[in-house]
Amino acid sequence: MNKFLEVKNLKKYYETSRGVLHAVDSVSFSLAKGETLGVVGESGCGKSTLGQTILHLRKPTDGEIYFNGEDISNPSKKKRHDLCRDMQIIFQDPFSSLNPRMTVKQIISEPLKIFNAVKNKAELDERVAKLMETVGLAKRFVNTYPHELDGGRRQRIGIARALALEPSFIVCDEPVSALDVSIQAQVLNLMQDLQEQLNLTYIFITHDLSVVKHISNNIMVMYLGVVVERTSSQGLFAAPLHPYTKALLSAIPHSDIDVPRDRILLRGEISSPIEPPPGCRFAKRCNYATEKCFAEDPVMEEIYPGHEVACHHVKEINAIP
Amino acid sequence: MSTNENASFLEVKNLVIHYETDNGVVEAVNNISFKMNRGETLSLVGETGAGKTTTALGLLNLVPNPPGRIIAGEILLNGENLLKMSAHQMQKIRGSKITMIFQDPMTSLNPIETVGEQISEVIRLHNKVSRSEAAQMACDMLEKVGIPAERYGDYPHQFSGGMKQRVVIAIALACDPELLISDEPTSALDVTIQAQVLDTMRQLKKELKTSMLMITHDLGVVAETSDNVAVMYAGEIVEYGTLRQVFKDTRHPYTQALFDSLPDINKNVKRLIPIKGLTPDPSSLPNYCSFYDRCTKRMEECKKTDPAVVDVGDGHLVKCLLFASERSGHE
Repeated sequence: MNKFLEVKNLKKYYETSRGVLHAVDSVSFSLAKGETLGVVGESGCGKSTLGQTILHLRKPTDGEIYFNGEDISNPSKKKRHDLCRDMQIIFQDPFSSLNPRMTVKQIISEPLKIFNAVKNKAELDERVAKLMETVGLAKRFVNTYPHELDGGRRQRIGIARALALEPSFIVCDEPVSALDVSIQAQVLNLMQDLQEQLNLTYIFITHDLSVVKHISNNIMVMYLGVVVERTSSQGLFAAPLHPYTKALLSAIPHSDIDVPRDRILLRGEISSPIEPPPGCRFAKRCNYATEKCFAEDPVMEEIYPGHEVACHHVKEINAIP
Repeated sequence: MSTNENASFLEVKNLVIHYETDNGVVEAVNNISFKMNRGETLSLVGETGAGKTTTALGLLNLVPNPPGRIIAGEILLNGENLLKMSAHQMQKIRGSKITMIFQDPMTSLNPIETVGEQISEVIRLHNKVSRSEAAQMACDMLEKVGIPAERYGDYPHQFSGGMKQRVVIAIALACDPELLISDEPTSALDVTIQAQVLDTMRQLKKELKTSMLMITHDLGVVAETSDNVAVMYAGEIVEYGTLRQVFKDTRHPYTQALFDSLPDINKNVKRLIPIKGLTPDPSSLPNYCSFYDRCTKRMEECKKTDPAVVDVGDGHLVKCLLFASERSGHE
């Protein structure tokens, strides 16, 4: 497989007054060009931290990151700056990720100016107009401020800004969560179109499982900083293997009233990521947990080709020989 | 109006609520009518700005005034018009007969009072009981929503989001209300926690026979909780019916478009079908169908008149000209 982005044992820890917080713990994966990797999990599972750490918006505690074959685990200041040309991010909340004192044009042209990507004002105007057209923002909004626009249009500004330097890789951190369903569909379609036209590679972070199924090729399920299951989008929804993934998928409220519901209710809530005890992070809530689960960390194991799970009892639970 | 058990105990007639702002009048709720039976769960569905929350606040007479004002209509609870009641009478109804769960459990609890005190406060306000009796009732309530009674003396910040929402539910149900209004009760929660909370709400509703008005934008939550559904668009109910009527025999183009724009876990769709354009500005609504500009099935007549509500069969109401010929007008 052509490895466009490869992450090995990435860790991001925070020192807190109550101990070390393991936000992202030994996450490894790779990604081919033009692919979309969905990262799902509930609040506090470390999915946003993972995205930001890959982009060096947060400094990794440990681990390796390779981008286009190049080691970017510990980039120099200049290298880190240059990486912004290739790697960008779209943030969740279009209400707080745009500077309220800048116009649409100023926001979109800022990256172009920082990187001296344009020669003169005429070229800048042209590029901004082109970007606005690409994301479907009408020309008349060029001098408006973000507060004058609705959520969908604001998110389009965020997308235009991320695209300004023609990156090849974009981390999309819950880009549609703040939007109404009718607008969400517009933005999702736009992102798919852009991916096809510009051959973009996405990491798509979301808690919304129906959205992630729709947009991703592969999906990685996270729980308390670790990856518990990784496989193709189809494979995950057809046959989830990890007990957490099973519960997560069964918890989604369906809008089809004729589909029978087989809900697995989990006990309790997500535990603290500070100084996590050894063993499986999910063991406390798991219906299948045994002594071994509280003692030994499970490792990712390939159960079927391309379908990896970190669970001591995955074979018994799923009756796999 | 009869007070018999099966009759609709809540009836909203032609409710109109406006917000009068410096930039003009925002027509938030426009002439909506609906009925609810005892024990029933009715969902108000719609997108941001459809007027769902304003309708709920209207029922409690809590529309912030100014700028909000209930312009017209009647809200009959057991035959009594809530809008004619004095502030004092209304205060007795809120918290005992009608209660509300707000969207964000993080901000609807008092951070400097223990959760137990917050529950017994409501009980003591509406019932003549001693402090210790109220505390006992509060402990029972905590157990009912799945929180150990030992946590009576804990403060909200010591609870997680899902647990806080359970406390809010305990407060809302403490006085055994007839109607519980839930405004996006699980939107701020993660799916596995949402499943737990919805499950608790379902069980309690059954046990206490409370009627529920559920406000949500999540069609999945609607499917799991409701008996009847009212779809709101631009301050109007555009489609109303039983869960099956609205979800399986969808009539209004807006409701259909909502379903189409949703990614569905059970289907594989290459591209979503978004609704074109945006919801109309509620301060300058058209005098014809408010969905006209975004509708894929619009006809010339749609721009000429505000469609009447039509009963397309068995109480399935649709506010759309496409069905004008099917039955005679609703009223």
